[in-house]
Amino acid sequence: MATKAMLIDAVRCIGCRACQVTCKMWNARKAEKTEFFSGPGYQNPGDLSAETWTLITYNEVQVNGRFDWVFGKRQCMHCNTPACASACPVGALKKLESGPVIYQKNRCIGCRYCMLACPFEIPRFEYSSPNPYITKCTMCADRIEAGGVPACCKVCPTGAIAFGDRDEMIREAHHRINQNPSGYYHSIYGLEEAGGTCVLHLSNVPFDKIGHRTDVPLHAVNENTERAMGTIPIVMLGAAALLGGIYKFRTRTIRHESDVPPTEE
Amino acid sequence: MSERTGSTGLGTRLLYLLAGLGVVIALWRFANGIGAVSNLNQGYPWGLWIGFDILAGIALAAGGFVVAALVHLFGGERYHPLVRPAIFTAFLGYLLFIAGLLVDIGRPWTFWQMIIYWHHESPMFEVGWCVMMYTTVLFFEFIPAVLEKYRKTGWMQRWMTFAPWIAWLLVVLFAIALVRTAVWVIAIGGVLLLFQILVERGAIRRDPHVPTLLIIAGVLFSTMHQSSLGTVFTTVPHKLHALWYSPILPVLFFTSAVMVGLAMVIVEATLSAQHLRRPPESDLLRGIARGLFWAAAVYFGLRVADLAVRGAASEAFAFTPQSIAFWLEIIIGLIIPLAMLVSEEVVASDRARFWAAFLIVVGLILNRLNVAITGIHAASAPRYVPHWMEVAVSVGIVSAGILVYRGVIHWLPIIEGHGTTSLAAAARTARSAGGTHP
Repeated sequence: MATKAMLIDAVRCIGCRACQVTCKMWNARKAEKTEFFSGPGYQNPGDLSAETWTLITYNEVQVNGRFDWVFGKRQCMHCNTPACASACPVGALKKLESGPVIYQKNRCIGCRYCMLACPFEIPRFEYSSPNPYITKCTMCADRIEAGGVPACCKVCPTGAIAFGDRDEMIREAHHRINQNPSGYYHSIYGLEEAGGTCVLHLSNVPFDKIGHRTDVPLHAVNENTERAMGTIPIVMLGAAALLGGIYKFRTRTIRHESDVPPTEE
Repeated sequence: MSERTGSTGLGTRLLYLLAGLGVVIALWRFANGIGAVSNLNQGYPWGLWIGFDILAGIALAAGGFVVAALVHLFGGERYHPLVRPAIFTAFLGYLLFIAGLLVDIGRPWTFWQMIIYWHHESPMFEVGWCVMMYTTVLFFEFIPAVLEKYRKTGWMQRWMTFAPWIAWLLVVLFAIALVRTAVWVIAIGGVLLLFQILVERGAIRRDPHVPTLLIIAGVLFSTMHQSSLGTVFTTVPHKLHALWYSPILPVLFFTSAVMVGLAMVIVEATLSAQHLRRPPESDLLRGIARGLFWAAAVYFGLRVADLAVRGAASEAFAFTPQSIAFWLEIIIGLIIPLAMLVSEEVVASDRARFWAAFLIVVGLILNRLNVAITGIHAASAPRYVPHWMEVAVSVGIVSAGILVYRGVIHWLPIIEGHGTTSLAAAARTARSAGGTHP
């Protein structure tokens, strides 16, 4: 299967939150108690959580000289080179060839390194459970494997969420920007962020205005880690040979206890 | 046992109380989840437990491998009296750190799954394996004290025979899990196998006190463990402040661990001498203090060079909470102790030397807390400040550690001239055990 991607177009989103609801239905996540928070207007709940895997952000932003509502969609970005999957000590997080980054809960030990590693701050932890797991959007990998589309994409009434081959989605994004250059911010969020992701965002305002982190490196964030991990064999072999060698050289003339040289300062 | 007079004093009762409180909170956490006892949140998944119990705790246990290498590999035989306390502290430190880990990780009863689900790209996988491997090695390095106490000469002999092979097996297993390339695994295993065969055949001197391969394995795992804790943070260039994020974090973590390992030897030897009401091994500690100066100087040089090369030095002069934390760490933990240790009078004075080493320890703890907490920036979550119950768990772990340490140095021959058997007798036992083996 070619690598799939979602194309989320804030320009087409009307903020109905059907995607939030259907995500909970398909993935059997609990509802949240509404809590008022000092954040953007009608957004509910305030943030992603262990129960809320996707969230429509409500942002009152100046567009062409007047204030307007622009809705962003937060969810797992399904990176091409996911930091979470590379960080996980037991391989509980796994990138599928078809695009989704999935979570194999039986493997998870609960170390939360994936949460630290994720540049988009997506994985959530069940802090209130005595048997806690990590939770996050799976791009409905089960539906994709069965030939379907993610639940949120299926339910969106305005076609703001498109789903298809990643190459095709990138072409489509460029096409939309070119067709309506004054209506779009000329950038695709997710094209290069963290080395490229399988969730692409379009918007008519800069992406940090609708809840996305724009200080994410434009390369896979674990490059330095890979380099460091790559030195393990050299360090091990070098240290083994060096330590053994030093001991051999230092004790070359010592055969018996009585030969131990008097200790010097 | 006459030194035990203070053990029912106020301080001791307080330690029991704090350790007990830690246990109660830990039980509460297992019943109600980590959220019930901590301020960890979705943006700050790691806090005091990772920063203090784990990052700082492991570094403070580095004395075990530093002194073992100094005495058993590099020929610093005169430091022999310091080896057992250092190894025992390291072993105890690792056990306490595992206790902290059990509280911090979400599903600790699944920790063993690291043995079956291998993911060699993950620095956390390396950390987990190092914990398991090095704790095992430390157990084998520590066990002679117990065998000696109960005069198990036969077991001591078995230990001399089998411990090196167990150590070899652990290294090879570790290499298979982490390296995954047959040529490298064969090379690493081969070098150590060759070493042991040469020892068995008499071509390399057999150390009568301890299997050299066991010490080498301990140094190998420690090197990997200390540096891999730094590697863990190389995945977060976007979250960790430029004053601490560096591609050479593994090197910085290793170097600072060697430094603080030496500092801990001084702190601990001085404190236990005080506890046992006897003078510390001043002439040995003088030598350690000189080494500490150079280790701290090298680490300080690396930090400065790293900041300069990355162009991050200017961050230190911006007035932010991070820059203040940075200066506290550098001034308390490096500049003041370096200025102290450069003077031979400080090195010679038991009291001044202790305080210089103590500052190094404090600075190291600040450094690890800065990497794990102060330096981390999450955009989408409220700033993390430890909950008092998190602090209580960490304090409880340290209190339990002090109680166990004090109990064990009275019980086992750890400190020379103390415990039930003298170290001279220890050496004799080990020698006769080693000697009967061809």
